[in-house]
Order: sequence, then C-alpha cells, then structure tokens
Amino acid sequence: MGNEQTAIELTLPLRAEYVSVARLTVSGIANRIGFDIETIEDIKVAVAEVCNKIIRGSNSKEGKYKITFNILTDGLEILFDCSGSNINCLFDSDDDILGISIIEALMDELKILKNEPYILAMSKILERDR
Amino acid sequence: MSSELKIHEELGEDYARLILSGEVDIYTSQNLKEKMYNIIDNYQKDLHIGCAELNYIDSTGLGIFVGALKKAKQYNRNIYIENLKDNIRKLFVITGLDKLFIIN
Repeated sequence: MGNEQTAIELTLPLRAEYVSVARLTVSGIANRIGFDIETIEDIKVAVAEVCNKIIRGSNSKEGKYKITFNILTDGLEILFDCSGSNINCLFDSDDDILGISIIEALMDELKILKNEPYILAMSKILERDR
Repeated sequence: MSSELKIHEELGEDYARLILSGEVDIYTSQNLKEKMYNIIDNYQKDLHIGCAELNYIDSTGLGIFVGALKKAKQYNRNIYIENLKDNIRKLFVITGLDKLFIIN
C-alpha cells in the first residue's frame, strides 16, 4: 500500500436514508482516483454494507458515524469510526456473514479492528494498464 | 442518479410481475419487502421481477429476495428474475443466489 496522501472525511447520522450519500461520496472519490465503473460499483456496495451494519447495530437514530477515505498513491483505503455514538458496532455476529462475504469478494483487503476508534478498514488497489 | 425506488406492479392471469427501477438499499427496501410479500401472499402465483432498470442492490435487498422465495415456495411457486444488469448479477453469483433463483 502506498503512502497516505489525501484524506476525506464524511460524518453521517445513523439514519438509513443517508447511506446513499456515502455511496455517492465514495463513487466521486473512486472516480477521481481512476477506478473503472465496474470497480466503482463494487466499492459502493462494500461501503454500503458496512453502513448498513452500523445503522442496524445502533439502538437509536441519534449519534453519528464517520467514514474516512484515504486516497493513496495506488488506491483507496476506507476507514469506519462509530466512536461518536453510544453503540456497540463491532462486527462479531454470525448475522454479518452475508455482508462480510460480499465485502471480502469485492474489496482487496478487509480488516476488522477492535479497541480502536476505527472498527473496520477496507481497501482497493488501482490496477493500472501496463 | 436517483436513489429512489419505483415499483410497478403487473398482475396477469397466472403470474405477477414487479418491475423495479432505481435502487434497493437499506432505506428503500422496506417498501419492496411489503410489496413483494403482499403480492406473494395475496396472489399466490409465480412472481417475475423485472430488473432492467435496477441500478443498485446490496445484502438488504438480497435478503428480501430470499425471504420472498421462501414465501413463494410455501405456495409451490417460483420467482423469476429478469434482465439483471451485469454488476447486479455479479452479486447474485458472489452470494450463490444465482443457484437459488431462476434468472433470465
């Protein structure tokens, strides 16, 4: 993974109607990085799967979660932080299997973090034509 | 690109069809769930889902499809999924749901 260059942060309310905002944001960033349309669609799904899980895992619609998009020299890293809400949003339930398997198939790397502000990190490498 | 979901209902003599356009996500999926489940319970015919204008789906929507299929099977009916876009079909393949549904 290349060195971090630019970070974009998006803070969202814990409401289902704004997950589409996360998808639009990441598609704009991924397009800027140079990912092709198919890969952008994959990244949108992966991001939404995490947002869905965070929103379902929260007990109330108050509170926020944060997505950090790190634009790397060779791709995109996406970090999720839900320390801004009083909820337990760790990915440790069997119900997560479908969503996690989708994310693992679509992204290049997936790390589930514990005891960090960030609970999950995922990344996609840009494949350049040779 | 709209993040709304429009559902057009078509009732035939021995089938029902739901034509989806837009996105099925955590927000729009509740509406789809109600319509799909109601039409299966109340009409009890084979259900066709027209997906030519379906631009987005994730595990929320896929879960609804699976729930609907279980319901349809109770009535010995099938669900046919029509005209999937390539990126949507990919999700059915990744999750193995392409083996569960009849996909045209």
